[in-house]
Amino acid sequence: MIYDQARYTEDETKHEPLLSEKDTSTVEISDTDSPLPEDLTRDDLTLPGLSEPELARHYTRLSQMNWSIDSGPYPLGSCTMKYNPKFTEDVAADPNAAIHPDRSAQSAQGNLGLLHGLQEYLATIGGMDAVTLQPPAGAAGEFTGILIAKAYHEHHGNDRSEVIIPASAHGTNFATAAMAGYDVVELPSDEGGRVDLEALKAAVSEETAALMLTNPNTVGLFERDIVEIAETVHDVGGLLYYDGANLNALLGRGRPGDMGFDIMHYNVHKTFATPHGGGGPGAGPVGVVDELAAFLPTPRVRETADGDYERFEPAQSIGKVHGFAGNWLVVVKAYAYIARLGDAGLSDASAKAVLNANYLAEQLEMDVPYGPFHHEFAATAGDRDAADVAKRMLDFGVHPPTTKWPEMVPEAMLTEPTEIESRRTLDTLAEAFNNAYSDTDEAIETAPSRTTAGRIDQVDAARNPRLSWQALDE
Amino acid sequence: MTDTDGSPFAPHTAEETAAMLDSVGVDTEADLFDIPDEVAFDGNFGIEPRSEQAIRGEMRRLFARNDDLTEFMGRGHYSHYVPSLVDHLSDRAEFLTSYTQYQPEITQGFLQALFEYQSMLVELTGLPVANCSMYDGATALAEAALLADRVRGTSGQTILVPELLREGKRSVLENYVDGAGLSVESYPMDDGNVDREALVDLAGEETVMIYAENPTVRGTIEEGLSEIGELATDTEALFCLGSDLVALSLLEEPASVGADVVVGEADVLGLPTSYGMGLGIFATSDRFLRQVPGRLVGVGSDVDDRRAYTLTLQTREQHIRKERATSNICTNQAWVALRAAIHIASLGPDGLVDLAEDCVRDAAVLAERVDDIEGYQAPIHDRYHFREFVIHTDQPAAAITADVEAEGYAIHAIDDHLIQICLTETTTHATDGLVDALQEAA
Amino acid sequence: MSFDVPDDLSYLESHEWTTTDDETVRIGVSDFAQDELGDVVFVELPAVGDEIDAGSAFGVVESIKAVSDLYAPISGAVTAVNEDLFDQPELVNDDPFGDGWMLEVDPSDDSEFDDLLSADEYRDQIA
Repeated sequence: MIYDQARYTEDETKHEPLLSEKDTSTVEISDTDSPLPEDLTRDDLTLPGLSEPELARHYTRLSQMNWSIDSGPYPLGSCTMKYNPKFTEDVAADPNAAIHPDRSAQSAQGNLGLLHGLQEYLATIGGMDAVTLQPPAGAAGEFTGILIAKAYHEHHGNDRSEVIIPASAHGTNFATAAMAGYDVVELPSDEGGRVDLEALKAAVSEETAALMLTNPNTVGLFERDIVEIAETVHDVGGLLYYDGANLNALLGRGRPGDMGFDIMHYNVHKTFATPHGGGGPGAGPVGVVDELAAFLPTPRVRETADGDYERFEPAQSIGKVHGFAGNWLVVVKAYAYIARLGDAGLSDASAKAVLNANYLAEQLEMDVPYGPFHHEFAATAGDRDAADVAKRMLDFGVHPPTTKWPEMVPEAMLTEPTEIESRRTLDTLAEAFNNAYSDTDEAIETAPSRTTAGRIDQVDAARNPRLSWQALDE
Repeated sequence: MTDTDGSPFAPHTAEETAAMLDSVGVDTEADLFDIPDEVAFDGNFGIEPRSEQAIRGEMRRLFARNDDLTEFMGRGHYSHYVPSLVDHLSDRAEFLTSYTQYQPEITQGFLQALFEYQSMLVELTGLPVANCSMYDGATALAEAALLADRVRGTSGQTILVPELLREGKRSVLENYVDGAGLSVESYPMDDGNVDREALVDLAGEETVMIYAENPTVRGTIEEGLSEIGELATDTEALFCLGSDLVALSLLEEPASVGADVVVGEADVLGLPTSYGMGLGIFATSDRFLRQVPGRLVGVGSDVDDRRAYTLTLQTREQHIRKERATSNICTNQAWVALRAAIHIASLGPDGLVDLAEDCVRDAAVLAERVDDIEGYQAPIHDRYHFREFVIHTDQPAAAITADVEAEGYAIHAIDDHLIQICLTETTTHATDGLVDALQEAA
Repeated sequence: MSFDVPDDLSYLESHEWTTTDDETVRIGVSDFAQDELGDVVFVELPAVGDEIDAGSAFGVVESIKAVSDLYAPISGAVTAVNEDLFDQPELVNDDPFGDGWMLEVDPSDDSEFDDLLSADEYRDQIA
C-alpha cells in the first residue's frame, strides 16, 4: 500500500496559511462601548476573525493533513491506539449531563450515578477496593498514587525517601517520583528482560516508599515473579504501584489487585478506548486496596441506604488533584465502552490484542530479542536507524511504532497493534515494516516523501524556537 | 462478518483466528499468555455487555436523573455558547482519533491548529511563550509554582495566594508543591480584591511566587495589578496571574502589569458546561522558555523548504529528561485546545470583546435588580464585576439556595449568608425567573 | 570511529576537557561527547563571576534527543563565557576543542589538576 497524504500548498513556502495570514483585525477597546474605565482594560486586541465558511475550509483542510486511528494502523507501543467507538461520543454529549460540578448532590444524581458506576467497574477490573476518577491523565494518576503512598507512610510515622523504578519504565514514572519529592532508585532488568529479582532485593530497604511497575512491562513481558516481587516490597513495608499503561494485555486474564499491587492507575484513553484527541484529554483513575482508601482524593461518590448517590470526603484524603472532578467527558466514554464490551468483550480484547501482536511479529523480518511478549513487542532495526525506518513507513500508509525506546533494545521499534486490526491490515502493516526495513539507505534517510510535510529540520526548530505567529513576524 | 462473541471492535472471524493461531504456532489464545496460575483470573467481572442501543437508552435515563435546572453558576467553571461549528470541526475523526504528534510530517494539521492556539494565547496574555495545554487552571497554577521554584535564585519557600482562592485550587497547588518543599500561604483581601498593603508586608525573601486572579473567584475585577507586578520584582518573586480567555480579551493585559506567568481556564471557550472538565492556560516570558512544562509546538522547515510545524524543545519533557523533567505531564488537553481555538477564530476580536463587555454589563444590571429585592444586598464588594458577584442574604444562604433550586435555578451558597450568582449570555433569558425565585425565597 | 583527543588537554570521565594557558583554564566538551549528543541546540552556562566546584554541574548542554549536565573538572571563579555559543550552539559540534569552548576559569586549587585524566587515559576510556 502507498499512502499519498493530502497536501494543500499555498505557495512554495508553506502549506495551509495560518489563520493570522488569512484575516486579522484589531479592536481598540477605547472605540468600543466599554463598561470599564480605561485603566482597567487592555488597549487593544488583535486576532483572526474568520467567517464560518472560511473556518470550515481551514479546519477541514487541516484535518485532512492529519493521521489518526480512523486513517490507518497506529501501532505505537504502550499507547494502545485502539478504535474509539462513535456511540460513546453521543452518550457523552447528552445535554442532561452538561451540569456544573458545584451542583447539589441531590440535583446531580445522574452524573454521580455515572461516576459511581465507573468507580465500581474499574475496581472490579483491576481487583481494587476503591477508585477515584479525578486524575485527568495517566501521569496525573501516577502522581496521585504516589501521593497516596506518601500520605500512607506519613500517617504511619514512616519517613521514606525512595521510589524504585525499572530502567525500562515510562518517563512519567521517574518524573512523578521526583515531583513527589522522592529519590529514584533505578532497577536494571535481568537477561530475560524482566525485573532482576536479586537487584530488587538489594535495592529495597526501610527507605522504600514504593516500587512502580508496569506489567506486562514495556517490552511486553509478564513479570513471572510478581508474587515474590510483591512480597519483597511488602516485607520492608513498601507499597507496590501498578502503572496501568499495559492493562490491555491483562483484561480478564489477571488483575493487579490479585498480584499484590496496592495502588494502580488506569489509562482510560488506552485500555478503555476514549479518543486521544491529538494528545489529550485522557483520564487516569486510581484504584487502591482497602487500607489506602481513606487517602483517596476528595470527593468520592458512594451509594446511600436509599439507593441515591452522595459525595463524601475520605477520612485522610490527600485533597485534590484536579480543580473539579477530572475529565468528565472522558470518564463517560470509558463507562460506555466497558458496558459495551462486558466480561466477554474485555477478555476478548486482551486475547485479540495479544494474538495480533504475536501474529504481526511473526510476519516481520526484524528480530524481537525479548519474549514471550503479550500485546506489544520491541523489534530491533539492527544496524539500521529505527527513526529512519519509521519515517519510511509513513509512505506506506501506516503510522510507525514507537522508536528508540525502551533503551534495553537497541534501535527499538516498540509495536502494539491492538485488537482492532484485522488479519488483512496486519499483513499490510507487516509489509510496510518489511519494505521500509529493507529499503535503501537513501530511501530511509530521505523519507518521508508522500506525507504532507517532508522530513523536518528538528535541529533548526530547537535552535531558533518560534512558538507563535507573532514570532514569525520578528 | 465478525464473531458476535467478544469485543465488537475486534474484527476477527473464527476462521481468521484459527489461521493466525496456526501461523504463530499455538493451539489456543490462552497459550499466548505467560501468566502464572496463582495470579490468573477467570474473566468474571460480572459486567453484562449491552448493545449500543441499550446503553444509549440506559445512559439517557441515568442522566435524566439530573434535575433540569437553569444554572447561574461559575466560580471557575463557566458556560458560554459554543457554536455548532466547533463540534462539527473538532469531531472530525482525523482530529479526534489522532494522537500526540510524534511523527510531525504526517500530523501537520493538528500541529498547525495547536500552533494557532498558542499564538492566540500569546496575544491575549502579552507573553511570548504559551504551551499547547495543561489539564486545568488549578494544575497550571501548581506547575507555575514549581517553575517559580526552579528559577528563583535564592532559597525562598513560600507561595502567596489570595485568601479567597477556591479551596479545590489551593488543595491542588499544595499537593504539587509539597514534594518541592514549598508551602502555601494566604494574603488577605480588601473588599474582594488583593489587599495590596497586607501583601507588601507579607512578601519578602521567603516568597517564591505571588499569585492573583483577575477576575477573582468572586467575579471582582482587580485594580492594582501593576503594583503587585512591581512588588514581585522588588522581592525577586515571580508574579503569576490567573484569568480566563474571555476576561483576557478585555481586562488589563497581563504582560503590561508585570505578570511573569499566566495560568487559568481556557475551557470557557470551546467547551460548554462539562461538569468541571477544563483546559489550563500556561504562558510565560522568553527567559523561562526552557523551564516551561508541557508540549510546545514550534515552526521549522521541511526538506522542501516549506514551513512545517513540530513539537519542539522536547528535552524538557518526561520522556527524555525523566526525573529531571520540568513536569511529569504527558497526555494533555490538546483536543479541548483545538475547540477553544476554533471558537476564538469564530468570534474574532470583535466578538470576543463584545462578549467580555457583556460579562461586565450584564452582571452589573442583574446585581442592581437583586439589590432591589428586600433581603438581599448586592454586590457585597464595591468593585467592577465580571460575569458574577456575591450577594449578602438576610435569610440563611443554604435555605435560599434550596428554595431557589426547587424553583428550577442553581446558584452557589458560599457562606452562611453569602450566595454567588454567575450570568452569561446562556442565562440572560432566565434572569426574570431567577429574580422572582429569589424574591420568593427571601 | 576515531575521535579527536588532543594530547595537551586533561579530561574528565564525563567528557569535559580543560586546558591551561598561563593562569587561564578553558573548559569544553570532547569530540566524543559532541558526537554522542548529536546536534547541539542550546548550552546553558554560568555567569562571569560565578564559582564552580570540581565534580559539580556548572551547566547544561542540550541536543534534540538529550540533555546533559556539564561537570566542572576544577574549582574556581568563571572569568569568561563563550557568548558565541548562545547564537551558534553548533560550534560545540563543529569545533569542540577550539571555537566550541565554553568557559574560562581562574582555578582556586591547582592540585585538582592531578585528579584529571590524561589524553591517553581518556582515549582508553572511550575506546
